Amino acid sequence: MHPSPLTRFLLLGLLTAGPALAANLPKPDADNGGLTLPAGFRALVVADKLKPLRNLVVADNGDLYIKTRQAGIIALRDTDGDGRADQTEEFGEGGGTGIAIHNGWLYHSTDSAIYRYKLTPGQLVPAGPAERIVRDLPNKRQHSAKVFAFGADGQLYVEVGSPSNALGQPDRAKGAVGQDPTEFLKTHGGYWRFDPDKPDQTQADGHHVSTGHRHSTTIALNPVSKKLFIAIHGRDQLNTVAPQFYSEEDNAENPAEVLHVLEEGADFGWPTTYWDPRAKQRKLNPEYGGDGKKLAPAGKFPDPLVAFPAHWSPMQLAFYSGTQFPEKYRGGAFLAFQGSWNRAPKPQRGYNVTFIPFNKSGFPVGTFEVFADGFSGAKDLASPGDAKHRPNGVAVGPDGSLYVSDATAGRVWRIIYTGENR
Amino acid sequence: MRALLLVLATLSLVACHRREPEPAPTSAEKSATTPPSAPAPVAATAETPPPPASGGATVASADGEQLFQQNCATCHMADGSGVPFLQPSIRGSAWISNENPQLLLSLILRGSAVLGEAAQAYENDMAPFDHLSDVEIAALATRVRERFGQPPPSKPVTPDEVAIARSRPGLP
Repeated sequence: MHPSPLTRFLLLGLLTAGPALAANLPKPDADNGGLTLPAGFRALVVADKLKPLRNLVVADNGDLYIKTRQAGIIALRDTDGDGRADQTEEFGEGGGTGIAIHNGWLYHSTDSAIYRYKLTPGQLVPAGPAERIVRDLPNKRQHSAKVFAFGADGQLYVEVGSPSNALGQPDRAKGAVGQDPTEFLKTHGGYWRFDPDKPDQTQADGHHVSTGHRHSTTIALNPVSKKLFIAIHGRDQLNTVAPQFYSEEDNAENPAEVLHVLEEGADFGWPTTYWDPRAKQRKLNPEYGGDGKKLAPAGKFPDPLVAFPAHWSPMQLAFYSGTQFPEKYRGGAFLAFQGSWNRAPKPQRGYNVTFIPFNKSGFPVGTFEVFADGFSGAKDLASPGDAKHRPNGVAVGPDGSLYVSDATAGRVWRIIYTGENR
Repeated sequence: MRALLLVLATLSLVACHRREPEPAPTSAEKSATTPPSAPAPVAATAETPPPPASGGATVASADGEQLFQQNCATCHMADGSGVPFLQPSIRGSAWISNENPQLLLSLILRGSAVLGEAAQAYENDMAPFDHLSDVEIAALATRVRERFGQPPPSKPVTPDEVAIARSRPGLP
């Protein structure tokens, strides 16, 4: 029996109406797209076999914009409401990592600049050319991703990483000797603030907000505390640089990946120190006289708000602003980890999306749990090249669904809460 | 019931990823108990290294495997597969497969700086390993050629060849 014209009209109305109601959730994939999720959660593959993907953002109408690591921006639209992308477009070029929508503009970053496109309501692909907002940021390949976010003040906060492990000479080599970081840190290892509307600013035009980090590929504004939170990638190769002090296991479990609040004038302690997650202490790096036991000077650098296992590689952070997920998740944050390489010869770990609870004041309570797992296709990997997928981007859609992008095989998942007991 | 399941699932996940790895034997223990041709316990899923070459290369190869694990496997992985975008795979590398070892030796001694533009393809730089002795680098290069050359060069690398590479600037 065919639906009457009136029924068809009503169905069409449901499909094209704004944010989907919970009752309108798409049908999940039987295998949840390969993911393992907490009870009541399901997942579906929105798109697959795109290019290696970085961060993503969801527009108010549900359109997805995803950075590719080495090419343009991929735009995805679901035109028939089944949750799967029917329209795939790619525009722009230059690769990169960061992407966000702000005041009707789509901002994105290459490894040396920030650009924006004016979005036209209803149109998937921006009509006009990109406008360059910040140019000529340092790019020496290593740690060159430039993530950014907009603060509560509406200003643009941009990361510039440190093209270095621990500023050793020679860096990453046995016996590396730490160099004086003063000059280096004037243009690296910090966050800079820019005017989001002024074209062609340089790093020197920006305000230097924070210093002393190695690389941060995570920055997001908490809507309650109005604070920007960042995650920082810890150093590599403690046992390569100082095998007399660090075993393979010491290196595999040190140092922590850390979550901090971004405050004016903050110094996060790199390159001279690192956070030992097992001892819960800040220690001196071996390049700067550390021996695995010596502590950093007390009170000089902030303790992390959350410490994650070493080498997991924190990528995009998204606060859960929706109501589709149960109460527990509301106001908390999801953080995608692309997984380790520097735990070798120990098994590689951390290819997952974690959930980080935040309190009523908009600060993390200090714990985390793995939320979505199974991306790599194996419990323990010898090499990250063996991973089927590596989560990178995470973003919340207008109906409260959580979207995740894949740094390896170009898959995009949508995670929904159905409440069904499987 | 659903809440209980959620808690249990969460606990098991937390318990799982917080689990401390079992202590590994030290390098000394490993070399004392494990024949050099056997795959290391953690490399069980990687390809099995071929047995060391016969004849004069045997002693050098035994050291070479340990030197590879200590100096190279961290970045290039125990199976040589590298890390996407960061460090290249070394399996079948033309520099490693070349019968003449001088390019490989120059790379080991001076790091990726000798690659010039070619190094731009990956994000991380390779450090120089000139702190290793001629004998150590000869053993390391011999082992790397055996494991990752396609086809593996037939001759072991000698300390004299390392000394030649060390004595001249840049690439041969």
